[in-house]
Amino acid sequence: MRQGAGPRLRRDLIALAAIAAAYLAVSAFVSNSYYQLILTMVPIWAVFGVSWNILSGYGGQVSFGHASFFGIGAYTVTLALIYGDLTPWLGIPLGMLVAAVAAVLIGLPTFRLRGHYFALAMLAYPLAILYVLQYLGFQEMSLPMHRAHPVAYLAFTDPHWYTVTAIGLLIAGTLACMLVENSRFGLALLAIRQNELAAEAAGLNSRLWKMRALVVSGMIAAAAGGLYACVLLVVTPDSVFGMLVSAQAVVVTLFGGVATVWGPIIGAAILVPLAESLNATLGNYLPGIQGVVYGGAIVVIMLAAPEGLYWTIRDRWFRRALPPPAPLVAATPAPRPSAARSAGPLLEVAGLSRSFGGLRAVSEVSFSVAEGEILGIIGPNGAGKTTLFNVLNGVLAADAGSATLAGQSMLGRKVHQVCRMGVARTFQVVRSFPRLPLLDNVIVGAYGAGLPDHTAVDAAVGALARVGLYRQAGTLAGQLSNKQLRLMELARGLAGRPRLLLLDETLAGLGRDECDEVLDVLARLRDDGVTVVIIEHTMHAMMRIADRFLVLDHGRVLASGLPREVVENRSVIEAYLGKKWLARQNA
Amino acid sequence: MLEVRNLSVAYGGLRALTDVSLTVAEGQFVTVVGPNGAGKSTLFKAICGIVPPLQGSISFRGIDLRARAPSERAHLGIAHVPEGRQVFKTLTVRENLEMGAYTKTGRAQWRHTLERIHALFPILHERAYQLAGTLSGGEQQMVAVGRGLASAPKLLMLDEPSMGLAPAVADMIFERISQIHREDGVTILLVEQRVAEALELSDHGYVLETGHVVLDGPYETLLADDRVRRSYLGLTGA
Amino acid sequence: MTQKGGERQPVDLEVLIENVLNALAAGITIGCIYGLMCIGLGLIFGVMKIVNFAQGELLMLGMFTSLYLVTGGGVLAFLGPYVGPFVGAICAGPIMFAGGALLHKFLISRVSGLRTAGTLDEGHFGQLVITLGISLILQNGGLILFGSTPQTVRTPLASRAFEIGPIYGDATVFLNKARLVACAIAIIVAIALYLLMEYTRLGKALRAAADNPTAATYMGINVDRAYRIAFGIGSGITAIAGGLMATYLSFGPFVGFDYVIIMYSGVVLGGMGSILGAFWGGLTVGFVQQCSALVLPPQLQNAAIFVVFLLIIMLRPQGLFGRSAERA
Repeated sequence: MRQGAGPRLRRDLIALAAIAAAYLAVSAFVSNSYYQLILTMVPIWAVFGVSWNILSGYGGQVSFGHASFFGIGAYTVTLALIYGDLTPWLGIPLGMLVAAVAAVLIGLPTFRLRGHYFALAMLAYPLAILYVLQYLGFQEMSLPMHRAHPVAYLAFTDPHWYTVTAIGLLIAGTLACMLVENSRFGLALLAIRQNELAAEAAGLNSRLWKMRALVVSGMIAAAAGGLYACVLLVVTPDSVFGMLVSAQAVVVTLFGGVATVWGPIIGAAILVPLAESLNATLGNYLPGIQGVVYGGAIVVIMLAAPEGLYWTIRDRWFRRALPPPAPLVAATPAPRPSAARSAGPLLEVAGLSRSFGGLRAVSEVSFSVAEGEILGIIGPNGAGKTTLFNVLNGVLAADAGSATLAGQSMLGRKVHQVCRMGVARTFQVVRSFPRLPLLDNVIVGAYGAGLPDHTAVDAAVGALARVGLYRQAGTLAGQLSNKQLRLMELARGLAGRPRLLLLDETLAGLGRDECDEVLDVLARLRDDGVTVVIIEHTMHAMMRIADRFLVLDHGRVLASGLPREVVENRSVIEAYLGKKWLARQNA
Repeated sequence: MLEVRNLSVAYGGLRALTDVSLTVAEGQFVTVVGPNGAGKSTLFKAICGIVPPLQGSISFRGIDLRARAPSERAHLGIAHVPEGRQVFKTLTVRENLEMGAYTKTGRAQWRHTLERIHALFPILHERAYQLAGTLSGGEQQMVAVGRGLASAPKLLMLDEPSMGLAPAVADMIFERISQIHREDGVTILLVEQRVAEALELSDHGYVLETGHVVLDGPYETLLADDRVRRSYLGLTGA
Repeated sequence: MTQKGGERQPVDLEVLIENVLNALAAGITIGCIYGLMCIGLGLIFGVMKIVNFAQGELLMLGMFTSLYLVTGGGVLAFLGPYVGPFVGAICAGPIMFAGGALLHKFLISRVSGLRTAGTLDEGHFGQLVITLGISLILQNGGLILFGSTPQTVRTPLASRAFEIGPIYGDATVFLNKARLVACAIAIIVAIALYLLMEYTRLGKALRAAADNPTAATYMGINVDRAYRIAFGIGSGITAIAGGLMATYLSFGPFVGFDYVIIMYSGVVLGGMGSILGAFWGGLTVGFVQQCSALVLPPQLQNAAIFVVFLLIIMLRPQGLFGRSAERA
């Protein structure tokens, strides 16, 4: 569980219980069966939205084809009932199982895609299933009635009970979502959604997390579909696998609020009754009014409040005072890692090369870094510095050469694997989770290193202490200053207890004083025995902090050595100021 | 011709420029130099209208540029050769140049300008129908400069044309720019990292460091001033 | 060859050959129309990199525009059933150009172009979602406005065909006249668009704006307007294809959806960024679809297209004819 999850969960659970109780109370008074049906459908669509939310809201993997799982749930229940006389109480879990298998089968090939391709590909699955079903002749299927023991077969004579069951399902689904949100699962998904590369660099195996999200999502969707079949008593391929079904998951969540447990509930509570009642009253004159409502809702929301109603309202009207920093007394800063120096250099790079087409971005670069040293990599624009980091980090493959960390090769591994070896990397553009407290932003690094929950908190707190942000642990990241964000990045890297830090332009854009503060932090880290390789342009800062310089130009090593020497080096001056300058000075 | 007064710009949440002023008179060749991160490109982008200024004014021939959309500047007679060349990779060399001549003046003088571009950069004539994305860095830079010329501009602005180019190629580019200034009488504003090459060609230079103008004057003064070197190599300040 | 009471019964081989040849013919004619349809999306998705989920609805609107122009009390009804349907299809182009431009101005431009250039996903999420919404509105709005009865733009040419043959025994190739005319128009429009994009100042400016919006702004091109025009053209082209398809298909407000995946398959197969590629991609997909009718029942044909789509984006997302602008 994440830090601070306890009170948040309690609060949310109470709210959920209250809402459910109120809803059931209202439902008890409704005698009209059509309205009761609407009351039943709201939670069912809400649960469907919850399922979509997990993959696409928290995880950011937008799927246009969740109808696959919904339909699988519906058809499993129906077919099991018709052919196996299996009660839906068991049929629904069975459907969830089938959906889980389907999720793995779908996810394996499809997660190789990103972004809009992923969304479109997910779209193809339910439609393909739809066509196959139509071909196989599964047109309209009715669920057989069981007059003898209706309740045992999830068939109620009094429609109120459908609503109760649906609310029960909603509670279960929302609970699952709350558990996800408050655990490292949720943070991992948010990190992946925020910036998949940075998440990988922090050690998260994004493929695995995405697959987990898809499986959970699929199972919940199937449950919703199964209950849907029981309520309507009729399934057709189009009504459960069709495009409108997939769209409803998207609309309901997007409208209500992505990445929050309340989003789908709000969205369903507003849109489903609206669409249904418009359909009932105007449906004869305007037969497509439901679709228009849903479509209009998405368009309006994307233009006016792209993250959904929940966030817009919360951000605008409930701008809370900073929550006091969570009591961190229990967690003490991590003990300093012993400065046990190994015999040889920590990082050894030899003959590293990487080209893009004909352009040699990194060419035969060799250098070594001793443990506890700060190496500054400098060079004019376009010299290949970031490319070098990308190769070391696993983002790019090397064309030639070697790179070893304490003797083990860093090359040929995936980004998160390199991170697990003990390498942390920051990026030029800092991305935070603005709505989450600083501690949650930092703890991702600890999760990535594979630390269990309790140790992860300690590691994160310790990291914050080392960068001097201990007291801001509870501050929402969106309220941090630039300098603090940079330090946050640093802390995130440190939370994984790395041996080597790769920092990419950490000081860019900071004013003089802020620069000094960050430099002090780096100096302390060096004293603790952390090895740092830093790319920077701010020369005066580098002069102060780096033990040695490595100068790159056009992908090659131009010079290396003590800072004072390097800046007096002719070829370095030439690289920065030009040949003519040098000629003039010597003339 | 171009007057920048007390310009302050924030870019990506950072204070990139503070209180920068510079003037380019008609027919002049003005250079802005400075180390990485000094704000040179931000200055360029602010004049081009890509980045909005916090404070200050930019005027061209008396026209307040802040009131004009970025795409109007080309029509006013300002040509830009952006950092990193930014050629249209999926268009041919010839088509790139044609895009440079999108403006009315450009189209009116197209025949003449095209000849001039070919005279300066013969290789653009040879490779007229090659996709610009397949050219080498130096060749792309020539395309970018040619594109700038194609609009028959009154003011030609260049942002770090030597970046990523081998020294010999960069020298050649500088020579051509100088030629354009001398022979065609085009006013030039050059933003560069290569100090000596840039300053030598120019009439007047400005040195930027962390968003401020720390030095300016005619080129001989700047070249003789050691503060320039110290500024680049981080030897100033603490 | 069996003889029964003086009548000659066709041999299985002849039937097979006839089926295959007719499928090929249908594949090419319909493929060309699909090719035109894909050019529209190719311009929007391939060149401008805007994900437009509502492209199928633009197709549908093209069909209905043509329908209302040339039948009943439409302005062009006087043209009669031989010429009318085809002129109507062509006229649907400019009308939907305007429609597409309006769509872009008020909705699409908010989630694309300079506004989203450089963001992590280039604005694709917003585009996907907004165009999903637009698609829903257009489909269901269409249901309200047009009703659900399947329609066709009737032309007697649809029931006449040129006969080629007999080629082998009794095997004859029937070239449906309506489809032939539609195919010819599709090819002409495709060529016209290609010429526009390759050789005119406007076309080059559109390509430049899509290639590098910042640099295009430096050149004095109003990138927002360029995107709007390109979106309009893309809409209009797909609408023309719709109008052509209306002459031999029966359609309703939801027809567009069947074609979205086909369009994306075609554009991706043909290679992003290439108008010509989009045409070939569409032609190939159409060809495959018609030929699959030889072995697959109708419901499975569309499923087959989806499988093809999935294979394409997973195995060869750069397509067959992508415009390669990277250094060799």
